[in-house]
Amino acid sequence: MKCSDCESKLDRYVDRELNNTEALQVQLHLEGCPDCMDHYDFESKVKRLVKHSCECDTPPAFREKLRQLLS
Amino acid sequence: MAEPAEPAAATPFAEEALTHLDTLYRGALRLTRDPDQAQDLVQEAYLRALRYQHSYQPGTNMKAWLFAIMRNLFWDRFKGSRKEDVSLDDTGDFLLYEKLKDEGAKPESDVLDKIAVSEVVDAVEQLPPLHREVVLLVDVEGFSYKDAADTLGVPIGTVMSRLHRARQQLQKSLYDYAVESGIVRANGMRQVSQS
Ligand SMILES: [Zn+2]
Repeated sequence: MKCSDCESKLDRYVDRELNNTEALQVQLHLEGCPDCMDHYDFESKVKRLVKHSCECDTPPAFREKLRQLLS
Repeated sequence: MAEPAEPAAATPFAEEALTHLDTLYRGALRLTRDPDQAQDLVQEAYLRALRYQHSYQPGTNMKAWLFAIMRNLFWDRFKGSRKEDVSLDDTGDFLLYEKLKDEGAKPESDVLDKIAVSEVVDAVEQLPPLHREVVLLVDVEGFSYKDAADTLGVPIGTVMSRLHRARQQLQKSLYDYAVESGIVRANGMRQVSQS
């Protein structure tokens, strides 16, 4: 696998959307290519940062109000 | 003296639906960008879900079904009012990683550690809603492309292209913030933020 192929599959690899064969190919490339591995780490970190930043729980008072309403 | 109110007993359907409340609330909050509007939207979505519960097929993805109801209500309400907000300007191919690498910020991911949570939320909320909802589903809620496509009623290819553009725009916003706040210096790249 070339770096450009790896690059084009990186989004789907990060999102766990590749099939097993493709995922394995990317994994093998990453293990032997520090540059792509670095890029992969970066994109995974951005994804985790977005998730972690946007997470929030429902205000308890609203949850209770909704529960009453649906009963 | 009045008896204390009995704990409300919701139906099994409502109970199951309520296990997905955080996902709906988060989604509504990021879509409306306003806690009060988010609560209105979620409440309306739950009432509608209850009314149309016969159309839910047991064993299928209830979270996706509920999210679809919520975002459809959102679009019914807000479509048209902010037309300019719907499309995403072409940012060109912007890759934050490449940009930081070019500028010698090593390791690149250290920059991410310095970006405040509120800035990331801002960057997400500034995305046009069509792109924002894909990021919410795939990145925040961990939906597969297929589930996101079903929820949004679009082909998987559309999910992928919107996600790609959303991420580029998001990374561009984070980069601009990093430059403005001095986290990175745009050495030799000044034409990007000035002119
Ligand atoms: Zn490589």
